[in-house]
Amino acid sequence: MPDTPEQPIVNQVARLARIHLDEQQLKSSGEKLEQILGFVSQLEQIELPKDVIPFFGAIESVNAIRDDQLQTSVPREKILDNAPESDGEFYLVPPVFKPTDS
Amino acid sequence: MEDSVLNSNSNSQSNNRQTVPFNDAKIIIGLEVHVQLDTDSKLFCGCSTRFGEAANSQTCVVCTGMPGALPVINQRALELSIRTGLSLNCRIARSTKWDRKNYFYPDLPKGYQISQFDQPICGPGHLDIQTTEASGQPRRIRIERAHLEEDAGKSIHDESNDRQSSKIDLNRTGTPLLEIVTYPDIRTAAEAKAFLSELKLILNYIDVSDCNMQQGNLRCDANVNLHIPLRGQQIATPIVEIKNLNSFRAVERSITFEAQRQFEGWQENGVTIADAPKQTRGWNDHTQMTTLQREKEDSADYRYFPDPDLIAVKIEETQIKQIRSQLVQLPAILRELLVKEYNLKPDDAAVIVSQGRGVVDYFLTVADGCENSRVANNWIGQEVLRHLNESNQTIQQYPVSHQQFTELLKLVIAGTLDQTRGKEVLNAMVEHSISSEEAIKQLGIKSVDNSELVTLCETLMDENQNVVEQIRSGNEKAIGMLIGKARKKNPNANPGLVKAMLSKMITG
Ligand SMILES: [Zn+2]
Repeated sequence: MPDTPEQPIVNQVARLARIHLDEQQLKSSGEKLEQILGFVSQLEQIELPKDVIPFFGAIESVNAIRDDQLQTSVPREKILDNAPESDGEFYLVPPVFKPTDS
Repeated sequence: MEDSVLNSNSNSQSNNRQTVPFNDAKIIIGLEVHVQLDTDSKLFCGCSTRFGEAANSQTCVVCTGMPGALPVINQRALELSIRTGLSLNCRIARSTKWDRKNYFYPDLPKGYQISQFDQPICGPGHLDIQTTEASGQPRRIRIERAHLEEDAGKSIHDESNDRQSSKIDLNRTGTPLLEIVTYPDIRTAAEAKAFLSELKLILNYIDVSDCNMQQGNLRCDANVNLHIPLRGQQIATPIVEIKNLNSFRAVERSITFEAQRQFEGWQENGVTIADAPKQTRGWNDHTQMTTLQREKEDSADYRYFPDPDLIAVKIEETQIKQIRSQLVQLPAILRELLVKEYNLKPDDAAVIVSQGRGVVDYFLTVADGCENSRVANNWIGQEVLRHLNESNQTIQQYPVSHQQFTELLKLVIAGTLDQTRGKEVLNAMVEHSISSEEAIKQLGIKSVDNSELVTLCETLMDENQNVVEQIRSGNEKAIGMLIGKARKKNPNANPGLVKAMLSKMITG
């Protein structure tokens, strides 16, 4: 299988996303990623005036802000209904032993 | 041939390493402090932030990351962040935005944490800390940035559970945190502790956080490595991020441990910052050691990108001005006030200020009222603080009002009450919540006029002529015996006045 230049990136992203890709998926993902990166590098060639400020969303408005006020939370039994597994109080997940991020 | 060169080379380097004393190594420390902001609701939804409620009773579609739910930023969290930034001399961003930090962990339901990557709400600033350095000069610790982010939930690892699963409580998910990041300007474990103490005190003064470390409202990670001089060069050891620091003592001890561990590791294998990536190690309070958790993920591994669910926040000059105008006096200013205007020793001023604004105000009112800041400090610094400490009360709960306390101190300063009786009166005031006047009455304390004092002294001299002779022949200390006897005859007689009168009557 001829590797696309993006193959190592695909492996890395798949590892970080905790998903397993088979040979076929690896190949097609690499091709898609190559297309996307190609498109972005095309965008990068556009010459912009120096004073253009980048914007980060499709909406140009700012400041959607709420007051610090309590709203009723979703009842526990209802929210836990979404969990693959729970004991009625907690979500149950495969054992994890080392909390690493805060 | 090449091998042998390498070997002899590394051997001689190893020998060189062995000759460097530990004390030559400079410890380089930077801190990342997570502060839980004192809001009622979470950062992006209206769920409560209250601690200790039933598991998973404070979550909604936003903080559990259901598809289609839209986060909206909490006004008070922004305000508290700006207040903190101004108190730490930070530049406040005029425009700030939100980014997703992607990683997988069961207590992070969205698969990403909303944080701030390249436009934090607070830019560079600094905090001056007192150190024990001989110069007495404060040390300036520069702050790199402070950014807002949401907290994760809690994992509970129940080992007795034979189903081999972990339990997740998402109540804390989405609680607002301000992460304050210092430059690596801290040089000793004691300085790290001093920085955290001062930061905690400031956050208390400005009502940003109660900083309860047991509840995890103030959490700290420390980045530590060593700079070691070797043959005119600086060698840097690999940077280690120490996590799980839940007390000041843990911060101090883990840094001390880590410095020693890195030094010994380097002496043994010579590994430097160029050879090894940043490591994450966890502090274990039981073993008093750090242990390897994982190789640190690169910033790129978190694949930060702007959160498309949120829009930028513009902060107006007027808003910053308004928050600045409402800032209270900070601990450093108050310490200076107590030293310069109230003539307290720096250590005494630090004790009063460390108790919070309530105690400072109590002191200022009493010192002004009784016009003697030294006496006010002695009594408040000892009697009041001891009582608050023993009864676990705040100054607001203290049974003696500042007016009553001032009245009591006036009597002590005037000599109407001596120290011992004064303390008896104060104890009665505290115990029965009564005024100094009532306490004096209750204890049967009567003022002793001059003629009574003269009679008392004459009686004492008559009854103890051998002591009087001793004093006359130069043993001035013997007067103490007479004062002890005076106290028994009339407990209301001020020992200072008795002493003055006796020595006048005996030696002229
Ligand atoms: Zn919520």
